Amino acid sequence: MLHVENLTAAIGQTKILKGLNLDVGAGEVHAIMGPNGSGKSTFAHTIAGRDGYEITGTVTLDGADLLGMEPEDRAAAGVFMGFQYPVEIPGVNNMYFLRTALNSVRRSRGDTEISAREFLKVAKDAMDLVEMKQDFLDRAVNAGFSGGEKKRNEILQMAIMQPRLAVLDETDSGLDIDALRIIAGGVNALRGPERSMIVITHYQRLLDYIKPDFVHVLVDGRIVESGDHTLALHLEDHGYADFLNHGLDDAPEQPLTGVRS
Amino acid sequence: MTIDSPTRTGSDLSPAARRSVAERLDVIGYPTKRHEAWRYAPHRTLGALSFGPPVDIAAALPELDAKMPTIEGPRIVVVNGLVDTERSDLTCPDGLRLSSLADVSAEQPERVAHHFDIADDEIDDAYLALSIAFGDDGAVVRVADDVTLDVPIHVVDVAVPDPTRNASCTGVVIHLGARSSATVIETRLGVTDEFGGSNVRTTITLDEGATLEHVVLQDAPDTQVHLSRIDVTQAAESTFNARSFNLGAAFGRCAYNVVLAGAGATADLSGLFFGVGEQVLDQQINVVHAAPDCTSRQTFRGVLDDRSTGVFNGGIDVRPGADGTDAEQSNDNLLLSNYAEVNTQPRLEILADEVACKHGATVGQLDETALYYMRTRGLRADEARRLLINGFADQAIDDVGIEPVRAWITHRLGHDDV
Repeated sequence: MLHVENLTAAIGQTKILKGLNLDVGAGEVHAIMGPNGSGKSTFAHTIAGRDGYEITGTVTLDGADLLGMEPEDRAAAGVFMGFQYPVEIPGVNNMYFLRTALNSVRRSRGDTEISAREFLKVAKDAMDLVEMKQDFLDRAVNAGFSGGEKKRNEILQMAIMQPRLAVLDETDSGLDIDALRIIAGGVNALRGPERSMIVITHYQRLLDYIKPDFVHVLVDGRIVESGDHTLALHLEDHGYADFLNHGLDDAPEQPLTGVRS
Repeated sequence: MTIDSPTRTGSDLSPAARRSVAERLDVIGYPTKRHEAWRYAPHRTLGALSFGPPVDIAAALPELDAKMPTIEGPRIVVVNGLVDTERSDLTCPDGLRLSSLADVSAEQPERVAHHFDIADDEIDDAYLALSIAFGDDGAVVRVADDVTLDVPIHVVDVAVPDPTRNASCTGVVIHLGARSSATVIETRLGVTDEFGGSNVRTTITLDEGATLEHVVLQDAPDTQVHLSRIDVTQAAESTFNARSFNLGAAFGRCAYNVVLAGAGATADLSGLFFGVGEQVLDQQINVVHAAPDCTSRQTFRGVLDDRSTGVFNGGIDVRPGADGTDAEQSNDNLLLSNYAEVNTQPRLEILADEVACKHGATVGQLDETALYYMRTRGLRADEARRLLINGFADQAIDDVGIEPVRAWITHRLGHDDV
């Protein structure tokens, strides 16, 4: 479904992604782990369409070239990105924003717009999913939200937008264990055969809650190792040192112990 | 810079008024860029205004009805400085009297004497002098003691530039009795694309414990000049809530001079100026704390696009003895173009003890990260931009409680009321 081939991204002279290859099939959940500065967030933004990178390579979703599209067209094509730092938008009502967003995407897809009343139903279900109260919708987008509330708002948006591909950038950062449980619950509820996800995280902890089909290790702009969820456990025990200090040839074998089922 | 001769308007004055205005204008002259309060004004444009006694144009003004906000309640419409009885509805509930300024001047001159009898040394600018000389007519709003009015009072000023006189003067006198409460909406409009303007001066007196909600909707055509001056005197425990929307005119000037004269009075001024094209929108605010334990707020937002210019010149003047003053001022601005400009300046003079004074100003551009964030949610770039701008402006509209006024403003700014 998502095909990434030899993707590079640079800001000026600084190369961040250096030939990234990844295929994500329908319904799959892929985790991308890596140390700080390895290019995880840049990868997410190249899929979502952020300005300011010089990009080469190929990124297609269901065969459609994403790199040639504006961010809003990618959203219409089914891309959703959960931000590591959701942006505060004072003065813009959350409900109005969400409905405008959903209707923009529906319009782009040639669907009819959803009425305020219908939208309330959609929003209600989404709010239940992330255990939010009604007053969340009445506030300005992320303005004055706590870290956990902002992240829940991201998952709420994902639940409303119903994307084909969700890229969740460090959705677990800054969350306490209860918030993590709620968010993981929301993500798991949104898993489905037609929806793929890329979960970017620094820590293995999130993957206790969201069990990925594949785990990839991103180091210095390249995926240096791929495996199943047990790879995350190896990283938890050994850190990224194996990948940072040695060449690719030294990458560890799949660990045989510590496998959870 | 040369100072325009007052004789350009002198020929139509009554002899006494002509002498008085001419003498005063000779002394003070027209403002120039050297006058702090007029520093950013387009003086060449102002110099092309010709003032004189009101001209009854008696024209049908079909565009006017479409421009005016629809507000149920008493209404007085002033066209080119003369009350238009056809368009006015002076039917009033008990406790309210709404009249033409000319009528009150003739019948009960003592009621409006304070609006005209201003000492020479207090006539600090030419447009005040012109207003005293030519602003004979307009509106008088009087609310009796202890009366709470449910319906807003609508005062509409319309400039219709006339070939012989392209500028008019209008006077508005508002007096709220003790413990009374009222809402007055002043809409300032213009008709035709001719050059011209309007000079509206409002004198507000709030007796002890009175509360006035006062809204200015300035939406003159961009071929016109609009000068607004609002002088407020507040007795003890009175409240003045001013909401100014300075949106129209080539040069739109909105000046407030508020004197907190009695202990415990509150003045809460907020507003929005939203400039496009080559507009210059000027807010001149002066709040004088002349009594102890008064509170004042100035909260103004500016949005400037294209080659427009915004000005916020906000003064807080705490007089000796005004202990316990609590004053805050803020001016946040959004520049939408590299050619737009905003000039913001706080002026604080504090001569009392135990005073809490805060001020702050910001100038920013649209948040690129926020635009990107919204676009990843499927909003088109222009839609995201519009939402962000409206979000910024809406925070000034939040202070307006009157639904039809909110609707008019949001419609004027071209967005949905959420």
